[in-house]
Amino acid sequence: MLRRKTAAIGLGGIGLLIFVAVAAPWIAPYEPAAQDLSNVLAPPAWDGGDWSYPLGTDALGRDVLSRMIYGARSSVLISACAMLIGATLGLLTGLVAGFFGRFVDTLIMRLGDIQLALPFILIAIVILGMMTERSPVHLIVVLGIPAWIVYARVVRARTLAEREQDYVRAAETIGARPLRRIFRYVLPQVRSVLPAIALIDLSHLVVMESTLSFLGFGLTSPHVSWGQILADGRQNMVVAPWLPVLPGIAIMLTVLCINLAVEGMRSRVEPRRRWWSTRWRRSGATRTTLDMATAASRPAVDELQAGPTPDDVLLDVRGLCVDFPTADGRVVQAVRGVSFTVGRGKILGIVGESGSGKSVTSYALLRLLSAPGRVSAGTAMFDGIDLLGVPERSMRRVRGRRIGMIFQNPVGSLNPVLTVGYQIVEAIRTNRDVDRDAAVELAEKVFRDVGFGDPPHIMKQYPFRLSGGQNQRVMIAMTMAIEPELLLADEPTTALDVTTQAQVLDQLRRVRDEHGTSIVIISHDIGLIGEIADEVVVMYAGEVCESGPTEQVLREPRHPYTQALLESVPRPEAGVTTELRSIPGELPDPTRESGGCPFALRCSSVMDLCHTHRPKPLTVGPAWSAACHLYSEDKAEVTQR
Amino acid sequence: MTPILELDDVRKHYTTRSGLARRTSSVRAVDGVSLRLERGETLGLVGESGCGKSTLARTLVLLEKPDSGEIRFDGRPVAVTDAASLRRDAQIVFQDPYTSLPPHMKVRRIIAEPLMIHRIASGAELRARVDELIADVGLPGTVADKLPGQLSGGQRQRVSIARALALEPSLLIADESVSALDVSVQAQILNLLNGLRERHGLTLLFVSHDIGVVTYVSQRIAVMYLGKIVEMGPTADVYGNALHPYTRALMAAVPSMEHRGRERIEVRGDPPDPRHPPPGCAYHPRCPIAQDICRVESPPVREWLPGRHAACHFALDGVSDGRNTG
Repeated sequence: MLRRKTAAIGLGGIGLLIFVAVAAPWIAPYEPAAQDLSNVLAPPAWDGGDWSYPLGTDALGRDVLSRMIYGARSSVLISACAMLIGATLGLLTGLVAGFFGRFVDTLIMRLGDIQLALPFILIAIVILGMMTERSPVHLIVVLGIPAWIVYARVVRARTLAEREQDYVRAAETIGARPLRRIFRYVLPQVRSVLPAIALIDLSHLVVMESTLSFLGFGLTSPHVSWGQILADGRQNMVVAPWLPVLPGIAIMLTVLCINLAVEGMRSRVEPRRRWWSTRWRRSGATRTTLDMATAASRPAVDELQAGPTPDDVLLDVRGLCVDFPTADGRVVQAVRGVSFTVGRGKILGIVGESGSGKSVTSYALLRLLSAPGRVSAGTAMFDGIDLLGVPERSMRRVRGRRIGMIFQNPVGSLNPVLTVGYQIVEAIRTNRDVDRDAAVELAEKVFRDVGFGDPPHIMKQYPFRLSGGQNQRVMIAMTMAIEPELLLADEPTTALDVTTQAQVLDQLRRVRDEHGTSIVIISHDIGLIGEIADEVVVMYAGEVCESGPTEQVLREPRHPYTQALLESVPRPEAGVTTELRSIPGELPDPTRESGGCPFALRCSSVMDLCHTHRPKPLTVGPAWSAACHLYSEDKAEVTQR
Repeated sequence: MTPILELDDVRKHYTTRSGLARRTSSVRAVDGVSLRLERGETLGLVGESGCGKSTLARTLVLLEKPDSGEIRFDGRPVAVTDAASLRRDAQIVFQDPYTSLPPHMKVRRIIAEPLMIHRIASGAELRARVDELIADVGLPGTVADKLPGQLSGGQRQRVSIARALALEPSLLIADESVSALDVSVQAQILNLLNGLRERHGLTLLFVSHDIGVVTYVSQRIAVMYLGKIVEMGPTADVYGNALHPYTRALMAAVPSMEHRGRERIEVRGDPPDPRHPPPGCAYHPRCPIAQDICRVESPPVREWLPGRHAACHFALDGVSDGRNTG
């Protein structure tokens, strides 16, 4: 809000200046050069002067107000035109340099380097000093042409990045020639950076123009500029102190307004995180009120919430809801009442497509949701601790130490400037009470366990020296060394090749077999889940649609979504002859109100009931449930109603 | 009938400089690839990241210029300087539906671009043709006036396909075109590609890292490892009875329910650094059946069985009676 206000003030100031500049001949009370020798150095109206000269007169009896107004006209005209020349030249050279590269790029950018190495103001003075009469056109050319480099550099950098994008390559393959690719494809993407640079350049040019005029190398009479007024005023500063102050204030305000406007534009392009939005994930207390508010709409979850957690269950998640408020006031409900349990020493697989809320669930459990996401309801009991309710300080003792994490991108999870050995030793010493030597020994042991032949060598490597699979094994080794009770693995093999993936899966299985670690593995790959998980949770649009023992669920899926998902995976043995089952349509709008079944619109066995009533998880076998009306006994009854 | 596309010993090497000493190292992204595509067939090109499959795909549409070797399209050698004539006949669909469409253009314009560039249609005719293409890829007519940002990943990939089809190419290259999509949407696009191939008599080169997807869409598959084709043959034969140990490892590594608790063919280690490929057969450090000869001599691609090529010294060792034992 504040930023929008400052931007409005800035833009308002610029607008006023432009108005004054354009309307100068009509609003100025006198000609700027008209002299009234009977009224030399008249004081301004507030300092004893009369209203015929509101801002007083200068040493030659010229009206200061009129001169200021005409000065604004020169300032705006010269800076704006110089900016346009610079921007146009810079845009074209930047596009050409960035798009064609090679020697064209080298030539253009070296020219720019040479120009930047020369003292611009001295050269401008030399050129302008050779002229006896200087009109705005001269100044525009002298100020405008050298400004190109500012634009060219930024445009070139953006063009270099855009040129490599697939859509530009695609344009090449459909036969678009270079000029078409530059102007139809690259330019529309690049030009968005221009307004901000142009405004910054504009404030620079205003100051530059005033400086040259002040030094006597600016506009010559009869043209007026603020710099000239400033220079004139300086000579009479003792008797008429207001004379240099007025143009000084004008220049300062102009530059200030432009900068405020730039600031406002930037905040629109890159919105800053608001300080209060982080509060949601920190405090557990605010949850309860929301809990009650949403409880009414989630009857099925409430039923599940009854009863204590059995002893052989390590993590018991009940009715987890995660919301992401959007900028326009709506709420994206990413996770809608998700419940599952993880047994001690068991591997639970959460499978779902993008937008199913599976990753958000894992972030929520670790309280690592990025703002503005927040847990709006639910509990997650981990060995007697409610992960969603305990203070952040206690959470820090759980996260990493008792619950380990492995993410999709292993390279991003490791510090690039430290060796992996240093990082694993640090991790061990932070989380386990051992001395350095013991930590190194342990690190070497776990590195050997995850299949590295020469642990001391690997430990001296930086993450970027290792392949994705090796980095992911480093992450697993760290987890094994710390021996958490629960391991959350979010798409741990998605970034890896299939042969490497197989090795990582084997390692995960060993972690469980040898250390008894419970694992939650989150993946979009139903085959992977089928291979490794003991239990599976199938998620769709933020809800659990089916959960149970993997063997049963994947061999005889009950929920139509699980069935469709399994059938849409291409199987090599099937061959081309069969039409692959695909699920028509797309995911439902995540901001929707939870009315019926989220899968109703794409379901092949949809009934009327599905659009209006949300299905509850129903038991379809031992420890096996599906949230589908097909298995509801009272479906006939409800349909009739 | 002449094959639509023939590649003869095509090579593409990249030179990289690194470090203060400016040491140059050469990456052989595509290292002597020869293959043929028959009209109307789908050839699947499968391999792990960095094996050169995408470079090969881009070389075919001349987004990359081959260093040596010959590409013949319809029997005519393709001159590197004459990209324009090839471009009407061979089109590519890229992997990432989010970066492959210009974000500032409406869908109608994106699909119309190739027709406008080649001056094939204008005015009402252009509109009609674009509407036809939109319908052909199974999109509702309402998407025409939307920007790519307003579409889902699957819809965007359909737009990419429509753009590629606008010039009525005879060869369509799908470079990991379904890898970024969810399985349910992936299946939609695979079915669409299969349908289009039948309706328009297209020849399809389907490039992917996912052997499941490749075997599903292709009649023949080619397996690439470190810039070379190590095995090529009819899909059913290769799937049931691979000649190269790498192909066997690749298939065994695909996770599935069937592998629960079963020992799989172990692939040791990681893919080698393409800047420093191992001597001899590039696969020998990871190969379970490697012998001394594999460390010294690089095996050439040979036709071991009719229509079945492999680059392995011991290609028939894993095959008990020489033919489909499965």
